[in-house]
Amino acid sequence: MNSWLPSMRWPDRSATARALEIASDSPMTVSASAIGASACHVCSDISGVDSGGTAEGNAPIVGTWVISKDAGKNVLFIDGRVWKRGQPAGGLADKARELYGARNEEFIESIKAFAYFPIAVYKGLDNFENGEISVRFQMVGGTLDRAAGILFDVKPNGDYLTVRYNGTEDNVVLWTFNNGVRKFVNRAPTLTPLELGTWHTLKISVHGTQMKSWLDDQPMHDYTLPRTVAGKIGVWAKTDSMIEFADFTVTPMSK
Amino acid sequence: MRFRHLSTYALLVAAMPAVVHAQAQKTTRRPTPGAKLAAECTWKPADAWVKRQAEFFDESKHDWSNDSLRNALLEAAGLKAPLKVPVQFGVHLEGSDSTSPAGAAGMVDVLKKLAATRGSTWPTRSVVGAAGTHAVYLLVGLDTTLAKTALHRMMEAGPVESPAPDVATLEDRLRLLAGRKQIYGTQFRRGTDGKVQLAPMEDSAHADLRREGAALPPFKLGLCMAGKG
Repeated sequence: MNSWLPSMRWPDRSATARALEIASDSPMTVSASAIGASACHVCSDISGVDSGGTAEGNAPIVGTWVISKDAGKNVLFIDGRVWKRGQPAGGLADKARELYGARNEEFIESIKAFAYFPIAVYKGLDNFENGEISVRFQMVGGTLDRAAGILFDVKPNGDYLTVRYNGTEDNVVLWTFNNGVRKFVNRAPTLTPLELGTWHTLKISVHGTQMKSWLDDQPMHDYTLPRTVAGKIGVWAKTDSMIEFADFTVTPMSK
Repeated sequence: MRFRHLSTYALLVAAMPAVVHAQAQKTTRRPTPGAKLAAECTWKPADAWVKRQAEFFDESKHDWSNDSLRNALLEAAGLKAPLKVPVQFGVHLEGSDSTSPAGAAGMVDVLKKLAATRGSTWPTRSVVGAAGTHAVYLLVGLDTTLAKTALHRMMEAGPVESPAPDVATLEDRLRLLAGRKQIYGTQFRRGTDGKVQLAPMEDSAHADLRREGAALPPFKLGLCMAGKG
């Protein structure tokens, strides 16, 4: 791979173990109404996590994301049980302002429209245009959805793209979210049933308008986007999904 | 293929009369003299899963839009509102005799037409009330093809509109019929020795997480009620 920039991985367990332990003891509840900068447990450096579970300079999150343990390893867990019960944290306006300054109202409106979809935005990279993003995931549960996705092209107005696997449909699909409207873009032709409680890897690569995806190294998408991408990245889920994420890796590349 | 469906209530009548009695009394189940029941077989109205079912099946606001469809569904399913909570214990015994109420077949046909019509209004909670959605669950269980479509519709409708414990129980049943393993542990079979056994299941380690998310009782309670406890 002709990577011009070093890969970045999160969580970096060696650097953040203590912070993650703290976060694990004090899981935060952050919902669509609380998208903000204080709720990331998974960025490259969350040593600023305090006893209240906040972390400086980290990802905005929709949904309830907590650090959980899997075989002794810290993993990021989107807990759909809590989402379903609707216990949002407050402070959406403040957090949006912190993230996007004067454009925060636009961001808030868009995020409200996407309240159905928990997201965790990685703040360690402001602008991903070309390269690869991968994440390991394990479906734990979700009565209505079991979806794990890679979030990319996140704009200040809240628009974004996601490539996700959905365990209730056994497929990998590219979705776009624009101006509060979710639209199907492209479904990979292969149906791949995955067992719950097993780890899998979802990966995308973006080179200009060419977007490819893989599930466990099996090619899924080879798709031409209508335009190039530029924006933040992260992970994505849906409604009451219970998904563990680990080893989020981004490898930005030159155009 | 036709489901040989036995409702939770009917199964409990067969397997755990004492528990059914307790349900009817809306009280915490207490072992009667002479009864030897595992502690795992008891539940309380304050249990989280019971409260969540109570929240979903609370129809005090009468906030549904189609009374005639609701009444037809309830009649076809042999239900009478309000339903007693817990409505769904997530215990289904494969091969149990089906005792479909008269008129069930006609309503199954109605549901089939709805399912086959793109853009049709599926009978969700806001349309037919919570009791109506449970009636839908019972009726779609009588037809596997319909059940597949119905499960998709129920999942799409979301947790406010669809009864999560019914969705979970239905998904388990359909997974087994499709040759996959169940994921909630709601499906049981009778072994050659006549004993009730848990049907094949994947990722049992996270079963209670999933069951909690679906407002189903803890796994131990389900096993106990199925005669495994």
